[in-house]
Amino acid sequence: MTEQVIVPRRPRWLDVVGILGIVALGFTVWLGLWITPPDVVQGNLARLLYVHPAVATVALYWAGGVAAGGSLLYLWPRTRSFFWDRLAASAVEVGAVFSALTLVTGSLWGRPVWGVWWTWDARLTSTALLLLLEIGYLALRRVPADLDVRAKRCAVAALLVAVDVPIVHFSVDWWNTLHQGGTILDPGFDLHVHGIMLWTMGLSFVAFTLVFVWLLGVRYQVEVLQDAVGDQELEVSLSERWGEDADLVSVAGGRAPHGSGGAA
Amino acid sequence: MSYVDAGYAAALGTMLVYAVTLVVRRRRWERALKMSEPAAEPDGAPVRGEPS
Repeated sequence: MTEQVIVPRRPRWLDVVGILGIVALGFTVWLGLWITPPDVVQGNLARLLYVHPAVATVALYWAGGVAAGGSLLYLWPRTRSFFWDRLAASAVEVGAVFSALTLVTGSLWGRPVWGVWWTWDARLTSTALLLLLEIGYLALRRVPADLDVRAKRCAVAALLVAVDVPIVHFSVDWWNTLHQGGTILDPGFDLHVHGIMLWTMGLSFVAFTLVFVWLLGVRYQVEVLQDAVGDQELEVSLSERWGEDADLVSVAGGRAPHGSGGAA
Repeated sequence: MSYVDAGYAAALGTMLVYAVTLVVRRRRWERALKMSEPAAEPDGAPVRGEPS
């Protein structure tokens, strides 16, 4: 399957999402660092929980979901379109950034609370594996190939990455881990966070989600532009080649100098 | 610097750097697309670039 790469206009709503994301992030930082009270048990370290769970949610569910969904829709013949392939690739790259941030912010919280920067705990290890798989996907995407060949193999790779998502999610239930279970809700849907702390956490989820959508949108535009440039260069190369062939034909057809008898 | 400050700085700083990188990449590819376009497109041909 081939299709001409058309570069869409920059959507206006993406700028709005970006501005809203910055404003929401600003409020999250203000509430998280200055307005919310310290936690009874963790003290000021609880302020990191206005960042880490939201970043992890984006990395795992939003980015993982878009990557897996986009790849499935690309592989499904009735919905096959490079839109889904490019969206999935964009989600994996943005997801890798958020996965790395999940590990860093978690580590910065774990050092004073657990006493270690890192432990081979099931949640931590499966999250690190997610980051490695995402980096592997991005490496695979850089291997030169036809657009549809690249899209198919990347879609399969993204589904392999997606296998790790439920493992990360359920790791705290399946194994005895140092990492706690649900941060906000337990399996019985009982809230663990209340008042201004709950509102700040809720806002942090909204803020990081908006930032994710903006980053995904811009990354998608980069993906389209990359393919469009590749497509354009291919067309130029082909037209140059056709021009050379035409010259050869005209030489062979009557302008052969000194009666050389034809062209190769 | 406390662990809390470091966490916020890491998260916000990384996202800022990544966002700037993406915008720069987008601008570079837009320029590359314009450079690779044929010099004279006939009127009415499909628009294949970022409208200014």
